[in-house]
Amino acid sequence: MASRLVRILPAWSRVRLGSVAGARFVSQTPSPGAAGSPAVSSLSPAEHNDDHGHVEVSLYEKNRDFHGFHKDPQVDVWNMKVAFFFGISVAIVIGGTFIHYLPDHGMRQWARREAERLIKEREAKGVAVLDGNYYDPSKIILPSAEEEK
Amino acid sequence: MLKILIPTLMLFPTTWLVTPKWLWTTTTAQALVIATASLTLLNWNSETGWTSSNPYLGTDPLSTPLLVLTCWLLPLMILASQNHISPEPISRQRTYITLLVSLQLFLIMAFGATEIILFYIMFEATLIPTLIIITRWGNQTERLNAGTYFLFYTLAGSLPLLVALLVLQKELGSLSMLVIQYMQPAPLCTWADKVWWAACLVAFLVKMPLYGAHLWLPKAHVEAPVAGSMVLAAVLLKLGGYGMMRMIIMLEPASKNLAYPFIILALWGIIMTGSICLRQTDLKSLIAYSSVSHMGLVVAGILIQTPWGFTGAIILMIAHGLASSALFCLANTNYERLHSRTLLLARGMQAVLPLMATWWFIANLANLALPPLPNLMGELVIITSMFNWSNWTIILTGGGTLITASYSLYMYLMTQRGPVSTLIMAVEPSHTREHLLMALHLIPIILLMLKPELMWGWCF
Repeated sequence: MASRLVRILPAWSRVRLGSVAGARFVSQTPSPGAAGSPAVSSLSPAEHNDDHGHVEVSLYEKNRDFHGFHKDPQVDVWNMKVAFFFGISVAIVIGGTFIHYLPDHGMRQWARREAERLIKEREAKGVAVLDGNYYDPSKIILPSAEEEK
Repeated sequence: MLKILIPTLMLFPTTWLVTPKWLWTTTTAQALVIATASLTLLNWNSETGWTSSNPYLGTDPLSTPLLVLTCWLLPLMILASQNHISPEPISRQRTYITLLVSLQLFLIMAFGATEIILFYIMFEATLIPTLIIITRWGNQTERLNAGTYFLFYTLAGSLPLLVALLVLQKELGSLSMLVIQYMQPAPLCTWADKVWWAACLVAFLVKMPLYGAHLWLPKAHVEAPVAGSMVLAAVLLKLGGYGMMRMIIMLEPASKNLAYPFIILALWGIIMTGSICLRQTDLKSLIAYSSVSHMGLVVAGILIQTPWGFTGAIILMIAHGLASSALFCLANTNYERLHSRTLLLARGMQAVLPLMATWWFIANLANLALPPLPNLMGELVIITSMFNWSNWTIILTGGGTLITASYSLYMYLMTQRGPVSTLIMAVEPSHTREHLLMALHLIPIILLMLKPELMWGWCF
């Protein structure tokens, strides 16, 4: 769609349709003898000279499936395939899978799961979730006062 | 560490020996493979803080996310520059890629250094390729002025750091980060000690940049070619945050009082630079000022030195690195088509390039910290810890958030909505390459929502 616009825009400006600014990107009316004509060579390329005399040629003139990588169509397609393979398939998909299955460092995730399990268990039993004493005081055997001496 | 350092080094022969036709394809592929390999650094085997295979280079939970970000950014820079560099002569294309690769090499060594002096050397070394990229490949004559600002602001800030490091080496006998955190903190009571404290931080505060020392940044960003802007916003500013986090743990007792003016400047800077964004006419300058505003929050988060402050700072650094780099790429796609950065001239692009408008929308939402995105996580964590430190800061941080949303909306509305400017003629359709580039920026941000502990730093 957009590449078609690029090709027919110069033709429009030739017949001064460009002055109808609002309609430019909406109207599909072909200008007489240019857009829609089978003779592609008659479509003048989107060339315009800048101040330095450089001519800017749209690469879509030569290669309609231009992906923005290279002016040679074969290199363009291969560069795209390689970039997508290594960027999306390898880095994002395989890399993402690797990160997802990283080992649980310091058993942090386990500790979280275990805490949730314990809370549920204690709530079901109706016991306090956390006791003020970390160790059960009855199980701590302290040396008697005589042994201290 | 060497598994990413040696392939990066081997990018130099790749760049210079490959046939011209396949130059960009090959370097993109190799850079992406290096980026994938860097993900293995996230596998954290050691039970101590540091993982190091040799005494000079090591990683810890603070440097790993930044290292991965550095490696991820090189292929993106190559993809982004492809369109505007490939018409140049082949030797110049190779030189350009060589500069980008050397930047990655220096950054890997800076983030991986266990010795502060190696970090310092690499910190300074990154200036050289960046300066060449800005002054050689910038678009206007103002680039020379921007280069001067960039070089001299950073150099003037960091030379006192060299002296401070030499003093530290003389007093402690070591500058190794592995041991320095266990050393007895310096008492810092004399006047000279206070100057030493400032010298240790000013280099990084200029690099961040702190409001007041930030004038080099908008100039450098506006004049640099797209890859320069990307790497500046995404990684080079983070070098400042990383350095501050490394230094501040040694400066412990004195920082409590001495940090006040810097915290105030950082918070005030959020409001001021945000307000400057609201009346920018230049697209790249707007994005650059928004970087200064976000980095103000990072500086404040680091300077109050709470675990949450550090965590928030590193989350925001990573998230902002990806989001602002994406915005600079988008600004460049506009620039390549319209040859102007002026907001007034590039209105209504949504009607011309609708899919690009979607990318603009997502990148803007990431920049203004939409709820599930890591940008919000970073901002919230810092704002919370600031609020806990002093309740009054919520006026500045909250106001800053509001202004961030406003200028992001302003940028989106100005570039995308409204009628198409009558000056816009024959716009090329957006390339597959540009969509890939945006996807590679934004997919990691979205994936980081699912496993944010990768960038929680020390405190996880």
